[in-house]
Amino acid sequence: MALPKTIPVTAAGRPLRTDPAPASVKTQCFHCGTSCDHSIGADGRYFCCDGCRFVYQLLQENGLCNYYDLTQTPGIRVMGRFASEKFAYLDHPEIQQQLIRFTDGRQTQVSFYLPQMHCASCIWLLENLRSLQPGILHSTTHFQRKELFVVFDPGQTTLRKVVELLAFVGYEPYISLDNAGARRERKVNRRQLIRIGVAGFCFSNIMMLSFPEYFSSGSMDLPYLRHLFSYLNLALALPVFFYSAAGFFESAWKGLRQRWLNIDAPIALAILVTFTRSVYEILSGAGPGYLDSMSGIVLFMLAGRWFQDKTYDSFSFDRDYKAYFPLGVTVITSAGEQVATINSLAKGDQVLVRSREMVPADGILQSPEARVDYSFVSGENTPVIRRRGELIYAGANLLSGAVTLEVVRPVSQSYITQLWNQADPRGDRKNTEKSFIHPWSRYFTLVLLGIALLAALYWWVADPTQILPAVTSSLIVACPCSLLLSATFTYGNMLRQFGRGHLYLKNASVIESLSRVNTIVFDKTGTLTHATQADISFEGRPLEPGEARAIAALAAQSVHPMSRLLRDWLLAQHGTGNYSVSDFTEYPGHGTEARIDGRFIRLGSRAFVTGGDSGPQGSGTGQVLVSLDGALRGAFRVGNRYRDGVPEMAAGLLAGGYRLHVLSGDHDAEQDRLRKMFGPQTILRFNQSPHDKRAYIERLRDDDPSAVVLMLGDGLNDAGALLCSDAGIAVSEHVSQFTPASDAILDSDSLTAVDRFLAYARSGKRVVTQSFVLSILYNLVGLSFAVRAALSPLVAAILMPVSSVSIVLFVTAATSLAARRRNVPRRDDAHTTL
Amino acid sequence: MSVLVILISVSILVAGGFLVAFLWSVRKGQFDDDYTPSVRMLFDDTPPPASRATDSLSEADKPSPVKTKHS
Amino acid sequence: MQLEKFHYDNRIVRNFAYATVLWGVVGMLVGLWVAMDLVFPRTFNVQPWFNFGRLRPLHTNAVIFAFVGNGIFMGYYYSLQRLLKTRMASDVLSRIHFWGWQLIIVAAAITLPLGITTSKEYAELEWPIDIAITVIWVIFGWNMFATILRRRERHLYVAIWFYIATFVTVAVLHIVNSFELPVTFLKSYSWYAGVQDALVQWWYGHNAVAFFLTTPYLGLMYYYLPKAANRPVFSYKLSIIHFWALIFIYIWAGPHHLLYSALPNWAQSLGIVFSFTLIFPSWGGMINGLLTLRGAWDRVREDVILKFLVVAVTAYGMATFEGPMLSLKTINAISHFTDWTIAHVHVGGLGWNGMLTFGILYWLIPRIFGTQLYSRKLANTHFWVATLGILFYAIPMYWAGFTQASMWKQFTESGQLKYTFLETVTYLRPFYAMRSFGGALYLTGALLMVYNLYRTVRQGRLIANEEAQAPALEKAYTRHTGEHWHRWLERKPVPFLLATLVVILIGGIIEMVPTFLVKSNIPTIASVKPYSPLELQGRDIYVREGCYTCHSQMIRPFRSETERYGEYSKAGEFVYDHPFQWGSKRTGPDLAREGAGNNRKTNTWHFNHLDDPQAISTGSIMPSYSFLIDHVLDTSTTRAKIRAMRTLGVPYGPGYEDQANRDLVNQANQIAASLHKDSIPVPANREIIAVIAYLQRLGTDIGKSNLAEVTNK
Repeated sequence: MALPKTIPVTAAGRPLRTDPAPASVKTQCFHCGTSCDHSIGADGRYFCCDGCRFVYQLLQENGLCNYYDLTQTPGIRVMGRFASEKFAYLDHPEIQQQLIRFTDGRQTQVSFYLPQMHCASCIWLLENLRSLQPGILHSTTHFQRKELFVVFDPGQTTLRKVVELLAFVGYEPYISLDNAGARRERKVNRRQLIRIGVAGFCFSNIMMLSFPEYFSSGSMDLPYLRHLFSYLNLALALPVFFYSAAGFFESAWKGLRQRWLNIDAPIALAILVTFTRSVYEILSGAGPGYLDSMSGIVLFMLAGRWFQDKTYDSFSFDRDYKAYFPLGVTVITSAGEQVATINSLAKGDQVLVRSREMVPADGILQSPEARVDYSFVSGENTPVIRRRGELIYAGANLLSGAVTLEVVRPVSQSYITQLWNQADPRGDRKNTEKSFIHPWSRYFTLVLLGIALLAALYWWVADPTQILPAVTSSLIVACPCSLLLSATFTYGNMLRQFGRGHLYLKNASVIESLSRVNTIVFDKTGTLTHATQADISFEGRPLEPGEARAIAALAAQSVHPMSRLLRDWLLAQHGTGNYSVSDFTEYPGHGTEARIDGRFIRLGSRAFVTGGDSGPQGSGTGQVLVSLDGALRGAFRVGNRYRDGVPEMAAGLLAGGYRLHVLSGDHDAEQDRLRKMFGPQTILRFNQSPHDKRAYIERLRDDDPSAVVLMLGDGLNDAGALLCSDAGIAVSEHVSQFTPASDAILDSDSLTAVDRFLAYARSGKRVVTQSFVLSILYNLVGLSFAVRAALSPLVAAILMPVSSVSIVLFVTAATSLAARRRNVPRRDDAHTTL
Repeated sequence: MSVLVILISVSILVAGGFLVAFLWSVRKGQFDDDYTPSVRMLFDDTPPPASRATDSLSEADKPSPVKTKHS
Repeated sequence: MQLEKFHYDNRIVRNFAYATVLWGVVGMLVGLWVAMDLVFPRTFNVQPWFNFGRLRPLHTNAVIFAFVGNGIFMGYYYSLQRLLKTRMASDVLSRIHFWGWQLIIVAAAITLPLGITTSKEYAELEWPIDIAITVIWVIFGWNMFATILRRRERHLYVAIWFYIATFVTVAVLHIVNSFELPVTFLKSYSWYAGVQDALVQWWYGHNAVAFFLTTPYLGLMYYYLPKAANRPVFSYKLSIIHFWALIFIYIWAGPHHLLYSALPNWAQSLGIVFSFTLIFPSWGGMINGLLTLRGAWDRVREDVILKFLVVAVTAYGMATFEGPMLSLKTINAISHFTDWTIAHVHVGGLGWNGMLTFGILYWLIPRIFGTQLYSRKLANTHFWVATLGILFYAIPMYWAGFTQASMWKQFTESGQLKYTFLETVTYLRPFYAMRSFGGALYLTGALLMVYNLYRTVRQGRLIANEEAQAPALEKAYTRHTGEHWHRWLERKPVPFLLATLVVILIGGIIEMVPTFLVKSNIPTIASVKPYSPLELQGRDIYVREGCYTCHSQMIRPFRSETERYGEYSKAGEFVYDHPFQWGSKRTGPDLAREGAGNNRKTNTWHFNHLDDPQAISTGSIMPSYSFLIDHVLDTSTTRAKIRAMRTLGVPYGPGYEDQANRDLVNQANQIAASLHKDSIPVPANREIIAVIAYLQRLGTDIGKSNLAEVTNK
């Protein structure tokens, strides 16, 4: 089936008079579920926009309506038209090469990252792509990675066509140079799985074969069985020792080479000693050895690591600027328009930027006028106007029609990308503070060796034959596995608890940073305030319902974010009605006009509505004017809306003794409201450029070395600040969509729980310490046997799992309890499924 | 209790066989995705009514050389 | 790798579904019959074929291998094709599998009432049928793996792993446990003797439960529960983990069926530990099943199919919790040999297997017949009737088990046993009546289902070949193979180590097998002698009549038992028992020392008692065996039997088979003579003589004299 290149804004064949619907009824778009009126319908179903209706019809033609049965209104609201040339760059061989996994002339395999994937219906539709486009042979989803793997026949269709299809049905793939979604490696992960599997298998069977010895209290009626058992054990222990445990030896060895006794060192030692002594005992027939304990240790350790390394597959925590720019750009050369990769852009190139595309590099405007917003860069989505010869920064979002620019700096040096290029002051520090159990383990090892030495000395005097047993068994029993387990399971479970609250941490070490935070810096726009919602007020004589609905009907035609806000607000105020819409025209970047039931209505910027001269003072203030039949009727003021509970959160944090700062990219109009919410001692800064924000954070940390800074921000404009703070949390309304590089991603609906999250993070440390004490106790018990050279394999075999399991249970319970006590929000959904 | 020898050896061998199966499946990436399959199995892959054909068997039903070379 | 059109084979699914229903009803009917045997022994024990001893094995086999077995295959053939997006590899194999399996069942249904049995519980079928089972099973597996190889869906859904596990383990269990030495065409002796036989048997017995009644059904649950609820399983990850955990250790459990038996202590404890560990993987399945329905309980209220599934999973949870509990020595001391065990297995059988099967049938039949279920209301009635049935069955049985156990153990102040065994039996009859009622209810429910499905089938038409389409598997990504290369170094060790491991294991076995064959049959008690030819024949009749289904031959070391039955049993006493006759249930008293001490009765007593039990001991529920008086003992087999026994290590002197029958006749004449004295004119060549000879021999090897020598062994 042929895709309409763009969805016509006035769709042909739509009845001018739509069937009546009572004003009170709230209808949901059958496709995406956004509330809508009855103006757009098909087969007695109603849609919020033509986009949704087209997708519905497409699926319906191809008998894919099952899509709507699996989940209620599963669709993604189609964001209006996409420029026909938007994906032209996908025809560029060089770019294709970067994206395509594999191709032989007959089939091409490529995988995409689709942040929009959210329900069973998505999976179903995406795996049935083949029935939407001939040439697509096969498509498989990986839900938790939000990944789509497509195999298509290059003879019948092209990469571009596939992407266009996806974009059309609402799943625009997220394609960028660092192809974050698609290129994640999982081999390591597999290796770990195998190691656990092998250890688990051997452990359970070794245990099995050791029990007879224990139950018959060493005097098994049939000696040959006993030999058989111990040799089988030996056989089973080999894979554990040589394969499963390899990781510990490697890392311990690495540590030693850097003169650094890491936590793995004592473990490796313990495993080694246990194994060698067991081998000796078995071969010499002296006893059954401690192989069950050894394999148990290894299994528990691996499991612990596995548990802690919980990662959120669908998120990417380290995107750099590349992630934000289009892969390909259109360059105008003597030969005409050509697609080039963004990296190849050089000073002086003439680039063509189309409406709703992002400006790829800082450049001088060649066209007479351009209307852009810097929502990406500054978080401000009020449009500004640039004239010929003026500089437009990379990252700007073009609202008006296509323009040409002359590149002045290549992407890598552009104003916005500087944010990343300045060396990160902390550099490696983030990595070193892996976990504060390292020093502990150091002492632990030393103390342990000390004890072993003392025992050795004692026996040297008392009974030299006992030296070896005593020393080895103390090394065996006092293996720090319980110490390590306590930390790994504590943090592993906390990660999950945070996840349930929709705070997704990059790794466990972030919990450590959070627990030490004492200074918090908020970005205002998009973080404290809603990115999509707004407080709307009407200035001028109040509208009658009739007028209001008419204006809503006009706004409904446009896909401009502002119009959508207006429409939703008006609908909410006055309910829906039915109007005949004619002569609708949209002037991108200026406004819209149409005849609604005969009345001519204009909606847009002051310049557009009043016809007066436009200019920055006209825009920027978030004002939308409306005129009825040429007469100015009034103005809608569209202002920030703060998230619910911000004041409470602020109060909570202040009470918690945190120092608060608020940075805002825009003017200080909001000062008073912020002051009210954040109190006198909070520092407010306005008109902060992305660089200012970054600098501000750095200053905070330089001025006061004790300051541990947490930065919360959304969007690109905070990227620098997030990077150089001790802990950077990217706030997003769609956690799976792009977020700047950060240590954690926070779903905006949980923003106001920050105080609780921090409290929780601090409680973690306590749990770990407690469980350490517990495990120390176990170790003492064990040692009390060991130093007396009286450690029977049975004791070891009991002590080891008992201590490990009890500690795991303890920390899991403790952390879960703490989460409840600190009432960390719990929301269960696809992201949190383990 | 020498029969235990038999039982134990058999038990270990069987379990060992499954260990091999486990390794195979992990290597083949069987467990890379531990969510989607549980949803996928809910879908029926019966073709849309439009393209419903007769009740007769088609080529694809006949035994054919194994064509699954996994990664 | 184009989109391929293909067809699912629903005919085979339908066939197995029909078989499931048919054999289900038969199995339950027989079950009801044997239940009535215990309530009205005179009416229902139609000797010889419908005696309890012969029908009870038929009941267990019919339910396990015919009802559940066909249910498994029905579920497999439907889900396997769809999960792998391909038709079964070969319709021929499917058909052979179907008809082969039904033939085996018919064979069982014929041979068991005829008393052709090995007397190994759930493995009673004789060697020719054992071979047939092996063949058919292999065909089934072959078909399954071939299908897996030509699948169109790369990922193997967790259910399939459970199917594979079932196939492999059941094959192994069946083969190991069925080592037997054929004597005649329909008679064989177990390769193992006494304790060893018991151990193998219960290793099998337990794992038959594990891998025939549990893993396949877990697999089915993982397919049909999500399908019926139309929501993904609660945690797929959990399902994977609990599968591998289960499979790595499940096969270990088993010895717990022999607690307090003559099995070495450590082996018993071993069984306990592992049965206990099993609770975790088992519950993994249950939790996963129930949580799948979280937030959909309102749907459960409406949807009768979900109701069946929910009750099934709950019953599974209860049974898998109770199991490990029963394997604890303290509890086992009470529960073992009583009706508690019966209650336990029926919670599993009626609840888990039965209800799940019903749910699947209701879900599946309308689908393959392209129609709706004839009556949801009727299905609902079925559900409630069946649930009530389970309760009416389980509760009285638990009660019966508990009271009987406590009655066995009660002493008077003067240190005498408070109750005779007979008293405990008569006390139980009302419970047996209630139990029969519960069973009847359950059966009624099943019949309702039969009607409901019949009407459903009538109103629909079988979609013999259901059309489907799916793309063939795409080629392997080159990217991945690429990665193999720069990782091959650290991957090398695994296969290597594994290879070594397997080699060592195999080596171990090869080295051990001969030792086992030699060692295993060395008598440990000098005074224990092989059975005389007549006793041997009598023993085989004892086996034929399934006496082990009511009479144990294993006295546990409790005062209550030694007081009642005499010195507790020693491992060494059973070295010539091929097969062992320990039994697992005491509906009648233990017979281990029937011929010894104060238990010893006169030949006349035995004769009359076998002729008409109620006449001798009023209230007895034992069937009459008067036909033994008419049946002439077949001595033509003696020679073969003696030879076979010698092959198995029983020390009959060389050439003894030639004089065996002479000895036999002599002994028979003596017994006959003693009977004639009491004016019982029975010819010496009757089967009853042999049976009496065997009963009188039981437990006599260890007289007071050599007890000391025995105990310090």
